[in-house]
Amino acid sequence: MRYEIRVDGRMTETLVKAFPELDHVLMAGQTILFGAVVDEAHLYGLLARCQSLGLRVLEMRQMPS
Amino acid sequence: MAVPGGNGRAPATSHADPRGDPFLRTQFAVPARPVTFLRRDRLAGHLDEALLTPLTVVHGAAGAGKTLLAADWASTRDEPVAWLTAQVAAKGGGTFWAYLLEALRLAGVTTSADAGLPAEAGRADDRLLTRLAAELSTRNTPVILVVDEYDRVTDPEIADQLEFVLRQAGHGMRLVLVTRTEPLLPLHRYRAAGTITEIRNAELAFTPGEAAALLALHGLRLTADDAGALVERTRGWAAGLRLCALAAQGEPDPRTFLKEFEADRTTIADFLLAEVLKRQTAGTQDLLLRVSVLERFCPDLANALTGRTDAERVLTALHGQNAFVEYLGHAWFRLHPLFGEILRAHLRVRSPELEAELHRRAARWLRRSGSLGEALGHAAAADDWETAARAVIGDLALGEVFSGLHCDELSRLFSRMGPEPVSAATDLVRAACALSRCEVARGSSRLRRAAQALAAQAGSADGDPADLAATRLSCAFLETLVARLTGAPGRAERAAQFAEQVRRDVPDALLEAHPELIALLLTHLGSARLWAGRVRAARAALTTVVDSSGTGATEQARRECLGHLALIDYLKGWPGRAERKALATVTAADQGGPPPVSGPGLASLVLAAVAVERDELDRAQALLDVAVDARHPPPDPVTQAGRAIVTGRILLARGDTQAALEAADRAVVADVASPWAEAHTASVAAAAHLAESRPEMAVKLLEDVPGDEPVCLVGAAQAELAAGRPEAAAELLDRMRPQGDLGPAITVRAALVRAQLAGEDGDYAAQCGLVSRALREARRERLRRPFAEAGPWLRALPLGALAEGRLPCGPTRRGSPARTGEQPAPPVVEELSGRERDVLRRLAQMMSTEEIAADLYVSVNTVKTHLKSAYRKLGVNRRHDAVCRARELGLL
Repeated sequence: MRYEIRVDGRMTETLVKAFPELDHVLMAGQTILFGAVVDEAHLYGLLARCQSLGLRVLEMRQMPS
Repeated sequence: MAVPGGNGRAPATSHADPRGDPFLRTQFAVPARPVTFLRRDRLAGHLDEALLTPLTVVHGAAGAGKTLLAADWASTRDEPVAWLTAQVAAKGGGTFWAYLLEALRLAGVTTSADAGLPAEAGRADDRLLTRLAAELSTRNTPVILVVDEYDRVTDPEIADQLEFVLRQAGHGMRLVLVTRTEPLLPLHRYRAAGTITEIRNAELAFTPGEAAALLALHGLRLTADDAGALVERTRGWAAGLRLCALAAQGEPDPRTFLKEFEADRTTIADFLLAEVLKRQTAGTQDLLLRVSVLERFCPDLANALTGRTDAERVLTALHGQNAFVEYLGHAWFRLHPLFGEILRAHLRVRSPELEAELHRRAARWLRRSGSLGEALGHAAAADDWETAARAVIGDLALGEVFSGLHCDELSRLFSRMGPEPVSAATDLVRAACALSRCEVARGSSRLRRAAQALAAQAGSADGDPADLAATRLSCAFLETLVARLTGAPGRAERAAQFAEQVRRDVPDALLEAHPELIALLLTHLGSARLWAGRVRAARAALTTVVDSSGTGATEQARRECLGHLALIDYLKGWPGRAERKALATVTAADQGGPPPVSGPGLASLVLAAVAVERDELDRAQALLDVAVDARHPPPDPVTQAGRAIVTGRILLARGDTQAALEAADRAVVADVASPWAEAHTASVAAAAHLAESRPEMAVKLLEDVPGDEPVCLVGAAQAELAAGRPEAAAELLDRMRPQGDLGPAITVRAALVRAQLAGEDGDYAAQCGLVSRALREARRERLRRPFAEAGPWLRALPLGALAEGRLPCGPTRRGSPARTGEQPAPPVVEELSGRERDVLRRLAQMMSTEEIAADLYVSVNTVKTHLKSAYRKLGVNRRHDAVCRARELGLL
């Protein structure tokens, strides 16, 4: 499963390191984290990590692999 | 060797959760409001509605200001307020409820005394919750229970239980959940019924006016436009505004900073936190980053991580500024959860190698301060298995790998340990984990390696002597377990002696804290002794454990010991005593105690064996299934042999001789042979051969068993008699005489063989005397199997003529040792007819339906009809009850 998570605001290098398993790309006022997600548990784990870092998730979608 | 703490002290449960750890006081503290806290009346007013509805939920993102809102509101209430931070829910339902009860107790709602405490970390039983709810429901003023960080509760069972208590408590409780995510409760139902107060993220957000007021508390004056822009940028997020205020405070021109912030597109918390952090001194930054690996900390622990001594001053200053640090009371602090996460991300970037070292330091400090559970968590996070293993062994906590409450937790923790590092401590833990899964070969090879390492270490002077003693005692403990599992009594004795020696060097406080280690050691020793047939010595070891006052920790060992003592009684021929002991373990297991391991398996086996003696075969089979169904593989040779014997006896009683032979033939692997196991399996096999009319084979089998085991002598006498050698039979029975302490299960059988001998000699008076005595003895124990086995000669006797010769009363209700006769007997509504009396009288003489029919010159069906109507009139539904009842009423 490949997913992308779109987060409000530009994430700094430091904060991106909290998601070592994902790649990222910075856009105008947004950050997109993307990469392989092992299973649902991992997916919810990522969401919880976003929440505990105070990130606003704008969008989350599965990408065609 | 005595079990420590066995002086009948009351178990110290009131201030400890089921894991045995003391309660973390910080979980009950209502968080203090910072000086810059802004009370917002619209929210406080909305929260006041919480008193009108049973359930209130405050949902919001991290840093939305939920906790402070609830804390501020709670501090203004007149009703009693119980506060719980639900972090502990991660440790299991039992721990969660223990904390919840303690929170209520601290609030002055005295529940824990009446409702009891959960006995295990994993779950809480329903009775406890019912009692709690019932007590709450009688209150005149409701107690306000606030559960903060409810998002930590991920176990749906806890949510179900909480909802149950909430529903049952009615007006006695008002529940306020503070959570980041929607709780797993049927909220839609509460919404439909209008019984919920909800405050959501949007409502928590600051309005421009409130933002201006908040910043004013920090000494910053904002115009309405600026406040509006700031709220738009932060979306009214409390943590964002707070950080913003902190960062702007340090600027010569706060307005420029705010403009910059508004223009920047970095994620808010990250940007602001970095801004606030860089304004701190280098020392403070370092401290903040280092403590980010901890859930909570006191100045001393923080010093241990920084290697400096200024933590108290720095933390107090940070708390005063309202920056990052929250005060939990009792000199403990924590980082705001949101900032803690981000600081940890910063730590990983700045000093990636430091994180493991910090966990290691924390583990060492926590172990010194006596928090084993937390120390283990940090040692594991640092991948420092040596420290983790040393902590478990040094604290003498190795018994907890086996004793129910923590065993899953410890095994799970150590399952992550790889083959490295190799040391005495790590190998002991590896051995314990393997043995707890009954992997004997693996466990004993690790144990051997540990013992070698320990022997090599003994000469050198390094290390703490108390630690060394604890390690040696743990090693001896595992030795006794391996000895028990492999059936090696000599090894068990040597290990126990060694344990007795090293025990003197172990601090008493440790032994008191972990009585289960010695209790389990003695259990293993007793089991190994029993296997070797050293019954008196086995009883001594097992009784020591049973007599020690049962705290929760030793409960499992006590139950196992009772199971073994029950088996001893059964083997000695005392089914009644065996049943009482076995039942004591089973009832204890039903009371929500820790999950049974091999003790209750053994107890069920003994109960099955007793049921066979009473000829209650279906019940015996059901009990055997329970014993075999026990979740662990057959643990030790004692249980394995017991299983083979009981299975064989049930099959014999059912007449399936071939299967009985096979069951008895199942070999038990052990270092030494067990006299009683051999004797009993041989006796089962011999009885099977006898039933197949092969007395010579039976004689041969029993001759091969060494020693004069009574059960073999009786079996051999039966076989000799069947083979037509009454003198040999009499001689065998005479050999039994000198052995004392034999119970009715054996003496009744011996008496019956003698009676049969007397009958063959034509001495009917002696025969009747013997049978009458056997009946009297059997009646007390409700033994019926020996008579069923005895053969047709017995039923031919005119038993009615025997003065006191009565049948043992029939089986009673399942699981109840009380006799049916104790219940008020239903009155006889109709007189029995003459024919019914005739049938009953013959029934009392142990005649079968066919025999009665032949005796009365009527058909079998007619007898059955008479029986049925007699049963109806007597209000019973089986033969023996009918006979007993008829005797009670003086009808016979």
